Amino acid sequence: MQTAYPDIPPGLVAHDLTSAAVQLQLDTTLYPLQAIYGAAYIFIDRCYVFLERPQPDQVRVVLTAKGGQADAGALRALVGEFANELLSCAWRHQITLDNRVLLETVTMQAIAGAMGQPSLEDLASFDFSDQGFDDPLGIALSWEEKHGKRAPAVAEPAAAGPSEPVATGPDAAASGEGST
Amino acid sequence: MTEAATFIDLRFHRDFYAGAAIDEAVKVFARFGEFHLSEAPDAWCVRMRALRPAQTQRLAHELANYVLGVTVQRGGAT
Repeated sequence: MQTAYPDIPPGLVAHDLTSAAVQLQLDTTLYPLQAIYGAAYIFIDRCYVFLERPQPDQVRVVLTAKGGQADAGALRALVGEFANELLSCAWRHQITLDNRVLLETVTMQAIAGAMGQPSLEDLASFDFSDQGFDDPLGIALSWEEKHGKRAPAVAEPAAAGPSEPVATGPDAAASGEGST
Repeated sequence: MTEAATFIDLRFHRDFYAGAAIDEAVKVFARFGEFHLSEAPDAWCVRMRALRPAQTQRLAHELANYVLGVTVQRGGAT
């Protein structure tokens, strides 16, 4: 393998014309393995793809032309297209990670909706008496429970004594009130 | 990949390739060559050669592609 491309930083790409192979050195902190898998999977019908681990945090992707012959320009185009596809896969992988919660929520709602409405038997056996929250203000009380007619109070006997002021005077005497 | 005599040694790193994918690929390609499987601490090793000696290199490439494809379809090496 020898470095051949002046437009690519040294040490990243090298090719071997005798075996029609080009290798690309990747940093796994920049490109997750799932993105490398995605790009490699797309290219396995165009070339032979082999993954190696030269260092703990690096991946070496070896692309070999299927015809067995390729010039430097063809190998340069191959590795360039692979790099573009790799970047696309990495970006889509990041979008998937960012939207994972949303995707899971929508999927769960879709699955729950596909289960259909509960049957009458399900409703009949459902436990509505569950008190899962505190209601100190009585918000969950029904109207009858909160404002319904109260039971009549027991009448107090008249002999218990006057509870109201007794009217006296000529009007009271004329109307018969306040005197017995 | 290393080549000695008519055999080719392939080392599939455990971080990238699933062992089950290698087993599956070897079964698929068994009628085209001779395969010997072994394990290293960090890799699955395949020593192979094709029934037609001129096809050994191509068979190794095809086997590697197949292993990678199955590994990706399985969701990764683990």
